[in-house]
Amino acid sequence: MNLLFKPAKSLGASLLLASAFMAQPVLANGPIGEHVNHLQANLKSYAEEVEWMVGKVDTMVSDYDKKGVKAVKTDDLIEYWESVKFHSAIETNYVPVYASIWQGIYGVKMAIENGKPAAEVRKEQEAMNIALWQGLGAVKLAAKFQQKGLLESVKATATEEMTQSATIDEIKHKLDRVVAKFAERLQDEATDIVHDTYLHLFEGVEGTLIEQDANLVEVLEKDFNVTLPQAIKNGKSVDDVRNVVSDMQTKLDRAKTLIEKAEKSRKDVF
Amino acid sequence: MKRRTFIQGLAALGVVGSLPLPLSRALAANIANPVSVDDLPKLKGELTLYLGRGEGGLYENVLQAIQKRNPDFKLGIRRGPTAALANTIVAEAKAGVKRADIFWAVDSGAIGLVTDAGLAQKIPTDLSEQLQPQFRYKEWAPVTGRIRTLPYNTSRLTKDQIPTSIMEIADSDLSIGWAPAYASFQSFVTAMRILEGDDKTAKWLKKVQKRSKTYAGELGVVMGVERGEVDIGFANHYYTLRLKSGKPDAKLDLAFTQNDAGCLVNASGVLALNDDPLATNFMRYLLSKEVQGYLATEAYEIPLINNISQPDGLPSLANISPPKIDLTQLADLRPTIDLMRNNGVL
Repeated sequence: MNLLFKPAKSLGASLLLASAFMAQPVLANGPIGEHVNHLQANLKSYAEEVEWMVGKVDTMVSDYDKKGVKAVKTDDLIEYWESVKFHSAIETNYVPVYASIWQGIYGVKMAIENGKPAAEVRKEQEAMNIALWQGLGAVKLAAKFQQKGLLESVKATATEEMTQSATIDEIKHKLDRVVAKFAERLQDEATDIVHDTYLHLFEGVEGTLIEQDANLVEVLEKDFNVTLPQAIKNGKSVDDVRNVVSDMQTKLDRAKTLIEKAEKSRKDVF
Repeated sequence: MKRRTFIQGLAALGVVGSLPLPLSRALAANIANPVSVDDLPKLKGELTLYLGRGEGGLYENVLQAIQKRNPDFKLGIRRGPTAALANTIVAEAKAGVKRADIFWAVDSGAIGLVTDAGLAQKIPTDLSEQLQPQFRYKEWAPVTGRIRTLPYNTSRLTKDQIPTSIMEIADSDLSIGWAPAYASFQSFVTAMRILEGDDKTAKWLKKVQKRSKTYAGELGVVMGVERGEVDIGFANHYYTLRLKSGKPDAKLDLAFTQNDAGCLVNASGVLALNDDPLATNFMRYLLSKEVQGYLATEAYEIPLINNISQPDGLPSLANISPPKIDLTQLADLRPTIDLMRNNGVL
């Protein structure tokens, strides 16, 4: 669980966040409300939702502690989370924390269902609470960017220019979504994102990249087609899948540097 | 058999008259000189382009350069997977909505979806006459080509050990790398269905499958060949050239079959969805010698107009023997997918 907080370390880390906060066309479970384009106006209700969610889970864990597993319905944890608007606010703005929230929810759920001692369930609950508060912090920061016009509106279709280096950013974002969907226990969806990202995005840049560093392409090819799909399929932990993704994102950072260098040295069309 | 010999042979057999109209007309036609952007009209006004995602940012670079050169021209761009955009254009037309003025697709199959729906405008003769004869169509203009090739591992094979017939490869003892889920491979199988029929194609798929190793994409195929995991692969030409560019000592070269689907030349293409001269003039920029030269040198795509200098190693159309096929027929993908699924390939 130590990696649960890894994304949060970057939260206070400066304007570098701007790129991480760039809203991407995404599909949530259920419709994304227009509220995600008006974050500032909704911050109060997001905060109330987080308070409500923290309280509901606390009640459930207390009931489990006092009355045992039969006294609680763990599926309610999923319903609580999917019923709040804050869900899509964080999903559209900072996917790494979104993944951590799902990881925390399932941490509580599985600990209860496996009959773990209350103290262990409380640890999972604490991790989930921290992820929720981190998520609220991320949305507050995103709201500031949005107020300054630095955050794009959430769109249904990709209409913006996609340079090769921007494609690398998009690939990294998609990989964050892989972790999120895996944490959400949607393995098939996570695998589909890996496959589609490879075919529709990575394929578009690897031609340029292989001219710069053939070995790097070879390693990333293996990551996309073997290492990450296998980690998902073999039911590794969320942290394990996140580690694979983090490793790929580090390689993609190098790929971006190489591609930007190649773009600079490319001849003019006319 | 070289292409020129192939064409002469067709003429001797009286086949030319039975070719699809664009091709038969083209074989007798002259090729106009390539046009420089300096001689093209300035673009003024607004257009909406539906752009199928292609060679990373290189198509984007072309579009940016066109807009920079024409400050009074505004291009709205909708991007997406080529097949999805083709379906969108057809759906929008059925709904009585026309949002796109131009469609630039990375493969001709998607073009076929739109032309079959009767949505594309006729191409002016002077524009199509710039293209190589076998790439002239009434309602769309191929922009650049890509050739189906057989990348092979040079430490395991020599070129003369590789059959020059794609059908004979199925009966050889070569180990093969392929990517059946890949769109370019499926277009190649579609071409084989059209040229050889479904039965022969099904038998070919089954035989090849027994000695094949599957990869997710065709760059993966080429890298697998280079590593010596397989003797040969099925892939578009540019993957090999790019790998060799980044790894000059790669044990890799290209072989070609002759007059069959194995050396199909597929193409990206552009069409106009309305009769605005601005749309046609925009298309002229894509066929200009500057854009054709840029895509050849930067993306290793095959220029389809004359007298374009090409980077070292880029196969010349004059030196290969592609099959005679109407590329828009490659839109008929559903029977190909069914055939591949029914034979356990997908």
